[in-house]
Amino acid sequence: MATARALLVASLVLSCFLLPCYGTVLFSSLQGTLIVTASPTSQQVLKAGVDKITVTWGVNQTLPAGTDSSYKTIKVKLCYARISQVDRPWRKTVDLLKKDRTCQHKVAARPYNPANRTSQSLDWTVARDVPTATYFIRAYAYDADDKEVAFGQTTDANKTTNLFQVQAISGRHATIDICSICFSVFSVVSLFGFFYNEKRKAH
Amino acid sequence: MEVEGQATSVKESQPPKFALPVDSEHKATEFRMFSVAAPHMRAFHLSWVSFFACFVSTFAAPPLLPIIRDNLNLTASDIGNAGIASVSGAVFARIAMGTACDLFGPRLASASLILLTAPAVYFTSIASSSTSFLLVRFFTGFSLSTFVSTQFWMSSMFSAPVVGTANGVAGGWGNLGGGATQLIMPLVFGLIRDIGAAKFTAWRIAFFIPALFQTLSAFAVLIFGKDLPDGNFRRLQKAGDKTKDKVSNVFFHGITNYRGWILALTYGYCFGVELTIDNIVAEYFYDRFDLKLHTAGMIAASFGLANIISRPAGGVLSDVVAKRFGMRGRLWALWIVQTLGGVFCIILGRVGSLGPSIVVMIVFSLFVQAACGLTFGVVPFVSRRSLGLISGMTGGGGNVGAVLTQLIFFKGSKYSKETGIMYMGVMIICCTLPICLIYFPQWGGMFCGPSSSKIATEEDYYMSEWNSEEKEKGLHLASLKFADNSRRERGRKEDSETTPVDESTHV
Repeated sequence: MATARALLVASLVLSCFLLPCYGTVLFSSLQGTLIVTASPTSQQVLKAGVDKITVTWGVNQTLPAGTDSSYKTIKVKLCYARISQVDRPWRKTVDLLKKDRTCQHKVAARPYNPANRTSQSLDWTVARDVPTATYFIRAYAYDADDKEVAFGQTTDANKTTNLFQVQAISGRHATIDICSICFSVFSVVSLFGFFYNEKRKAH
Repeated sequence: MEVEGQATSVKESQPPKFALPVDSEHKATEFRMFSVAAPHMRAFHLSWVSFFACFVSTFAAPPLLPIIRDNLNLTASDIGNAGIASVSGAVFARIAMGTACDLFGPRLASASLILLTAPAVYFTSIASSSTSFLLVRFFTGFSLSTFVSTQFWMSSMFSAPVVGTANGVAGGWGNLGGGATQLIMPLVFGLIRDIGAAKFTAWRIAFFIPALFQTLSAFAVLIFGKDLPDGNFRRLQKAGDKTKDKVSNVFFHGITNYRGWILALTYGYCFGVELTIDNIVAEYFYDRFDLKLHTAGMIAASFGLANIISRPAGGVLSDVVAKRFGMRGRLWALWIVQTLGGVFCIILGRVGSLGPSIVVMIVFSLFVQAACGLTFGVVPFVSRRSLGLISGMTGGGGNVGAVLTQLIFFKGSKYSKETGIMYMGVMIICCTLPICLIYFPQWGGMFCGPSSSKIATEEDYYMSEWNSEEKEKGLHLASLKFADNSRRERGRKEDSETTPVDESTHV
């Protein structure tokens, strides 16, 4: 018991030293060097599972060469606009990226070659588990240690312009509806059936 | 009618044989957990399983909330309101259930309620907005009043030396459902999603499992259960062996007994707290410690799963201290255990790392659930005539506590969940103090011994619920038998004669 406890304490202490290596990147420290554009127009409503988004991203060509030398991967994500974060603490924006919950849906992850600076683009069908909300698109650039170093987004710094909406699937099917109703009716009817049976037996 | 008359006289000369030893009311004096002998142990297993099913249904939504909140576009306030709704329905339903048990018997009362609330669980699968979600949680929550029928049924089947144990185990294993569902629902959801359904469809299909379980358990109760050791209410009423009581009288004698009200309040701060935690703990761990749905569910489950031993332990503890110290011991044990529960709740709110948080939560659950078991070691003795109503009031009080705590501390974004938990602990300690005020003239209270100004007996206490007209009609005979059997609540130092009691305090 004592050795187990000692091991637990030791591993807890050691893990504290590991913390500085991961999860300390702040969003405010990132450079906005990526240009990201997406096909949805402002206020457009897209249907989950059906409609496609075309995302184009690339490094701002006006920046000096070498800015992007550390970028290894670009990850594109679907992020909640402010209006969809109201009274929903599980979507909160926090500066510490490890705890930030603004961008919860992955669109794509692509390797990046600094030598080839042309923009990349892809088509993405809105996934069926994307909830009904207002969104924008953001891309993060990661270095070789998988730490965020830069970003770009389709909206402005205040996240107010060029937002689009997604209409989620309801998840309901006719079969589920019918089964629900049938089983419910069956439960109630069988109760009265039992009552009737009891009354008959008592006489 | 000829046949009925004959049956009564046969009964008097030849008492029916039971698998367990019984007292003069044919209640079992032993509790054998692994037997299914009719009628006592069979009633036990039927009641805890059906109650378990109701708990599974009522708390089926919380572990899946991270998915449901996205599908139905819920806000934190919507979720809080639905959580409050899920426990508020049962407040009055429990009181009504108590009276229904007094009048129709626990078997019919519980099975009817379970089958009438099953549709609410089926309809959860087709909820499409925050309003419909709130409504289904509200109506599903009514099924939690089967708690009252469970306790009533156990109090009718088991005698004083084991009633605390029987009530504690039945209640505890039923409450287990609140923990089991936090494991079952994410598992079922995961399975259905892996088969190929979209997330927003998988959770809907998953709800059929608790719904079907609930329906089937009600059928089992109706087919295999019996209200009393001697038979079902209706048949006994027709034979004249069970008297029919008037609702107004039952109601009057229940609500005028102040002990019922005190226990209702204190139960709100052990059971009510348990319900609140069932509603918030999965989301708390998921959001605060960034866990996966599955993991948060497992941790949340361990809170409810502690019920498998903790609540029964409370019931057993109540019976054990009663053997030595009588009713006074039951009251002291209840106060100590519940206050410690409040202390650990405060600690839980202050702990910020995952491992210690889980440990404190489990310790907290042990104390809070044992307090529930201890409460129902006292309830069967508060009233005999209105046993169902007192059980219902206490049970209803449990839900009121849950509604209040969620309203004050867990609605919207005013307090963070951890602050809410800490304040809830403080409230537990404060609302447990009224136990000091409970006093039985024949047995005493926490700080006072039994009444010495006049010789107070168990018969005096229980007969005070009947007036002379009713006594002439012989309606009070069952209470008289109970009074005799309850003499054990004096504790070991007293003998069973009605002599002036010894002033020496044991505690």
